[in-house]
Amino acid sequence: MEALIQQYPWLDELLMGFIGLSWKHVVMWGIGALLIWLAAAKDYEPALLLPIGFGAVLANIPHSSAVSQVKGEEGFLFVLYNAGIGNELFPVLIFVAIGAMCDFAPLIRNPKVMLFAAAAQFGIFATAVAATFLGFSFEHASSIGIIGAADGPTTIYVASRFAVELLGPLSVAAYCYMSLVPVIQPPVINAITTKAERQIRMGYENVVPVSQTTKFLFPIMITLIAGMVAPISVALIGSLMFGNLIKESGVTENLSACAENELANLVTLLLGITIGGTMEAERFLNIQVLLIMALGAVAFVFDTAGGVFFAKLMNMFSSTKINPMIGACGISAFPMSGRVIAKMALKEDPTNFIIQHAIGVNVAGQVASVVAGGLVLALIPALAKM
Amino acid sequence: MTATAKALLMMGIALPVMFLVISIFMVATSALHKAFPAPAEEENDEEDDD
Repeated sequence: MEALIQQYPWLDELLMGFIGLSWKHVVMWGIGALLIWLAAAKDYEPALLLPIGFGAVLANIPHSSAVSQVKGEEGFLFVLYNAGIGNELFPVLIFVAIGAMCDFAPLIRNPKVMLFAAAAQFGIFATAVAATFLGFSFEHASSIGIIGAADGPTTIYVASRFAVELLGPLSVAAYCYMSLVPVIQPPVINAITTKAERQIRMGYENVVPVSQTTKFLFPIMITLIAGMVAPISVALIGSLMFGNLIKESGVTENLSACAENELANLVTLLLGITIGGTMEAERFLNIQVLLIMALGAVAFVFDTAGGVFFAKLMNMFSSTKINPMIGACGISAFPMSGRVIAKMALKEDPTNFIIQHAIGVNVAGQVASVVAGGLVLALIPALAKM
Repeated sequence: MTATAKALLMMGIALPVMFLVISIFMVATSALHKAFPAPAEEENDEEDDD
């Protein structure tokens, strides 16, 4: 073949795709196809997994112009990476969109639910410890732990700072497991609660309505408090709360509608395909990625257990019993986790409606996951120096 | 310091700080909710929405 190419140099240009092809590229096409199939056939986070899957295919065509880093001939995925992920812009814009979609009224009505959300972040830190046992560096282990925030943008934000080389697998793991909440959480909850606990009823007495003024001031207040405690989290919590502020202000309906529709759709599309573009075979096909996928599942299990055990702990000291299942909704996978738990309660007792409590905890999970992300962002550089 | 020790230290610092921050959020949110109660009209609206 080499002699043929020497004789006919133009053949090299024509056949470069075939000549450069290796089994690793083909495996990555298979992984891309699997993600597309999960999105299209199984409806698992289709808005993210479909672009990620196709981006992975684009990145694994030998000499692909989509990911070219040659000066003057930069591929569009490389340009998008530098424009939106390398500088953390896309995750922040996604948070504006999420904020515009969130209704914090259930959380404001019952602020105690934030405690469950704090407990459900346990998976982040437990998984980081577990990852260090498997040989990951502290920075990488912490970035893997963040999968436990069940929050894609936070995962991407942290990974793009401290584990750029793991960005692809971390994002895929985060979004895959978020879509697998209905599969992961029920068996864990069933294993650590009794039937009697799962049947505990939670009333709706003394529910005080939330005024529009409170809803309007809430995002400003949370931003100021979180910003003072962890200034490094201001980009995350600030963008989330900015999105919510334009929704609750009532005077920027166009902006709010734009944030929760056009902005969310556009950035999700670009974010997904750009992450897929980072999944090059050389970086993706290694034992580390398999470990990351396994640790991602561990993170969700620890999150669920952390929230449930905290609710059980509160029941030991409270006269008003809480259904411990709602502790598991403290993760950021909204509203999926809340719905899953509400369904589980109905399965145990068809007359037990805990959806409002579950959704309240789930909304709190949005805030708690960003706070946890901010603390991790602040602590990684500080502890890495030690 | 080993990576595991750093991760354990991070957990030891972050979890209590997290609960502290969340407790501040709780107190501030309760105060905000009490300071601006929903007027009767909004209460009715909300009930209607529910």
